[in-house]
Amino acid sequence: MPAVKKKSRPTPPAARSAQSRGAPSLPARKSSPEALRDLLDAGRDLIESEAMYLDERRWDDWLALYTEKCEYWVPTWRMDGTLTTSHDEELSHIYYSNRAGLAERVSRLTSRWSPASSPVPRTCHIVANIRFIGAPSQDRMQLRSSWVTHALYIRQRQTYAFFGSAEYELASVSGKWLIARKKVVLKNDYIPSMIDVNCL
Amino acid sequence: MNITQALPRGIGVDPQAMMRYIDDRPNDGIFQVHRDVFIDRDLFERELAYVFGRTWNFLGFESQIPKPHDFFTGHIARTPVLVTRGGDKQIRAFFNVCRHKGAMLCNVEQGMARVHVCPYHAWSYDSTGANVSIKDHAAGDYPKGFESEDHNLKPLGAVASYKGLVFGSISPDVPLLEDFLGDTKFFVDLVMDQGPHGMEPIPGRALYTFRGNWKLQLENGMDTYHLTTTHLSFLNIQSDRRRGGGNQEVRKSNVAGNMGIKTSTFTFPHGHGVLTLENEDPTIRPIYSQLDQLRARVGKTKADWTTARSFNATIFPNMNLSQNYALILRVARPISVDLTEMTSYCLGAIGESRAQRALRLREFEDFFNASGLATPDDSLMYERCQDGLTNAGGPPWLQGYARGMNELKPGGNDWTNEISARPLQNWMGTFKAGPEVMLHEPYREWQRLMDTGLRGERAYP
Ligand SMILES: [Fe+2]
Repeated sequence: MPAVKKKSRPTPPAARSAQSRGAPSLPARKSSPEALRDLLDAGRDLIESEAMYLDERRWDDWLALYTEKCEYWVPTWRMDGTLTTSHDEELSHIYYSNRAGLAERVSRLTSRWSPASSPVPRTCHIVANIRFIGAPSQDRMQLRSSWVTHALYIRQRQTYAFFGSAEYELASVSGKWLIARKKVVLKNDYIPSMIDVNCL
Repeated sequence: MNITQALPRGIGVDPQAMMRYIDDRPNDGIFQVHRDVFIDRDLFERELAYVFGRTWNFLGFESQIPKPHDFFTGHIARTPVLVTRGGDKQIRAFFNVCRHKGAMLCNVEQGMARVHVCPYHAWSYDSTGANVSIKDHAAGDYPKGFESEDHNLKPLGAVASYKGLVFGSISPDVPLLEDFLGDTKFFVDLVMDQGPHGMEPIPGRALYTFRGNWKLQLENGMDTYHLTTTHLSFLNIQSDRRRGGGNQEVRKSNVAGNMGIKTSTFTFPHGHGVLTLENEDPTIRPIYSQLDQLRARVGKTKADWTTARSFNATIFPNMNLSQNYALILRVARPISVDLTEMTSYCLGAIGESRAQRALRLREFEDFFNASGLATPDDSLMYERCQDGLTNAGGPPWLQGYARGMNELKPGGNDWTNEISARPLQNWMGTFKAGPEVMLHEPYREWQRLMDTGLRGERAYP
């Protein structure tokens, strides 16, 4: 697998200006620009890893990015064009309150017994605009992203692009960041035949 | 009447031609459908005119327009439709088309408006369809002829509702809606009477397309034969759930392990077909906890059918109402011969508890969504059928309508007697038999409407 290029990323402007002022190199405090940058890098690594694992069909690696009790939610849009807000009172494209639901998806995608998943569409996930939502802590952070997934439905010889935004809640578990909650906003919800987790 | 007058432009006339498409010889044990029914573009244009244009079509729910001036929009096949509740509380349905230049008047799916203003030249219509403004009318130098014309929205030929379901017809020459539905009303009642305050489509839009003919969905809507192949991955997931694995928040039904369960099909006049089967575990239905209240309200038979039976009903031509993994109403809207738009509604009781609703939603999402674990496998098979059917020179006649023909009987059986229904035909057997015979009547009705349309005769004499 490609190495995570943590160091090659441009330093955020806030951190750069702190350095140019010759700020002393202190151990990162909770809210220091360096600490924030490290947290953002860790979050971005996780989100990009998810994209890569899905593209490379490394399903077990993908599942391992989620906590066992994770929430995975893809809300639908209402008829009036607003997004649904309650998964227990309104329809979702997908709603799981545990990783077992995601594992079922994987079992179907890899089973060869699902006509819709044989073969699994070829995908390319692009994620960008990864920012904090609110203030992160050392063991919990919320992030948002913009995403596009290009998918070739191989047998149908059709290429589609799905796009939207996503919100993540990441939790640090035994020193490793994991996805505790992911909410995917699918903006083009006029769905051509099907969509599964690998295309989100 | 000259037949050519009744035909869409550019279509050749061959009144005898329709006989070629359905090979209906019950005495010889033959029922076959010609592949052109799924792929022929000229035939498709005739379908829009003679089937979709001349019978009742599901439009939406009364619960979408509870108050005066509420509206929703939809389509009958490719025809845009606007349904309003006027200030007088009456429900009306119109061609959703401005009389001035033909622009689609309202492009919002649902909302409230006292006046609908066309954004092109601001011709305006109130919620009863009356034209209330022609912009700069006085300055328009309009001649007498124009002034004497009707500028109101053109109403559909007919609109009516039954148990909160709103239907419309482009042609006014249709039977009363209740007569059209006939004994399928029992199944509509079964679903729509489940909530003490009525039923509603749960908010959230489930809209998808498949690249296949709409009739592939019509057929699949009552097809049990495909379950153990097309949905094998879903069945495997369910067995895993029964062993305690996987997602334990949804049901663990065991259809594949109960292939012997009693199953019956009925067909009714006007092309409707129903498949019913025993429900292996009545307790699994969200309504089960309220069965006593339901019995008191709708009677024991109807109440027990909500939990002890599953059913898939096809209301001809393109609506499917099912009570199985969830309560679902689906409409397959033809856009072109090989493109169909599906709208699915997950139905829930108005005012039900959050827990009950969540249970319905999880079941529905699990199976029926375009992002679910089962429906995508159906949709992809339709596309595969369309690809196979399109091959010129291949076998022209499809053999998918014969299962159950030996046991097909005229009239009713024990189950239809229970519900006082009088079907044209019934079949009874096991789930494993995978009957296909309930598709005969929809195709016979399709042919009848096509024939009468071609000959320029009334659809419902
Ligand atoms: Fe199916």
